[in-house]
Amino acid sequence: MPKKSSKKCKKKKKAKDKRQRLLYLHARSPSVFSEILGYTPIEPLADYQVEITAEEPDWPYRTVHGAIVDGWQVVQFPHLQAPFDDSDLDVVGYEFILQKMEVIEA
Amino acid sequence: MSTVTEYLLDDSQVAEFVVKGYHLLEPDLPVGLNETIAHKLEGLQSNPGDAITDAVPELWQVLKHPAVGGALTSLLGPDYEVQGHRHWHCKQPASGFMQWHQDSTNNRDTRLNRFLGLYYPTDVTPDMGPTIIVPGTQYRNAPTDRMATYTNIRGQVPVVVKAGTIAFTHYDLWHGTAANRSARKRHMIKFLFRRTKDNETPTWNHDPAVLDKATDWNHRDGAGDPRNILTFGNPIGVSQSDHYKERGIRRQVWDYLIGQGTLQAIDA
Repeated sequence: MPKKSSKKCKKKKKAKDKRQRLLYLHARSPSVFSEILGYTPIEPLADYQVEITAEEPDWPYRTVHGAIVDGWQVVQFPHLQAPFDDSDLDVVGYEFILQKMEVIEA
Repeated sequence: MSTVTEYLLDDSQVAEFVVKGYHLLEPDLPVGLNETIAHKLEGLQSNPGDAITDAVPELWQVLKHPAVGGALTSLLGPDYEVQGHRHWHCKQPASGFMQWHQDSTNNRDTRLNRFLGLYYPTDVTPDMGPTIIVPGTQYRNAPTDRMATYTNIRGQVPVVVKAGTIAFTHYDLWHGTAANRSARKRHMIKFLFRRTKDNETPTWNHDPAVLDKATDWNHRDGAGDPRNILTFGNPIGVSQSDHYKERGIRRQVWDYLIGQGTLQAIDA
């Protein structure tokens, strides 16, 4: 009995150590193969901040598909059911939200 | 003595403004003027708000420079108004970035009736927290809250400029700032300009013949004439659907500026 309990506890601890990394990608179209126009990574670290920079952005992925190939999972696809006006423009691109559950060495 | 007429924009510059929503101007200001203004700003103990031109009256010399008048006349007509609202934006060392936003509420206008003039009295380097703009976003009706999940956007332009530069930016252009990681303050004076009369004819250095240029599928907006700039310009590479909508809005803006109700410069 004690042995089983210890195994369960270890498994639980390991799962707890995984944290959610988020990636907001704004793609040119709703296709995962379209080019990315906006890139916002959110790391699960205290005091982490992502910011607009004056330097030329250097993104690791060209498309949402590129991020999926690298192990990111899409947790929210762009909403395409909302009412729209075919002459109006609103935000830039289509928002995909992706995650990776990983153990983070803080 | 230079006159405003000598500094009017040409057709391509106006078309570029319609597409990108900004125009950078480096007027030949009197020697020492930028330094005098910067020195006075450094000495201010509080922000005077709209009274910044009372605290630093030399700013009027910038506004009255014929190159400034030329750009404003070209885009807002000869009877443009320098509005009473103005603001000194002093970005302190170690201050953070500012999120994307459009000014005011979401009541966008496809006519070109007002825009901002951002004057920088000192050189602005990338580490000084420059203003950052996203070309072509001026026709988007996007609540600022909806921009909260964006940080860097492909094609964004940091306003890294020489002392004395004025960035004329469409009132609705998406803009923010980078963090100031330098040891220097980054000064910017924001002015607001407004049109008071609709155009009956173009108020820039217009050549009617330039509108006869054919659509150039090889050089596209690189052809450099208004028809091709307005038709093909896509500064951040948006989707085809958005690009077609932008074209339609640009057509309205151009027609409005040229003072005619019918399409002159671009394809339907």
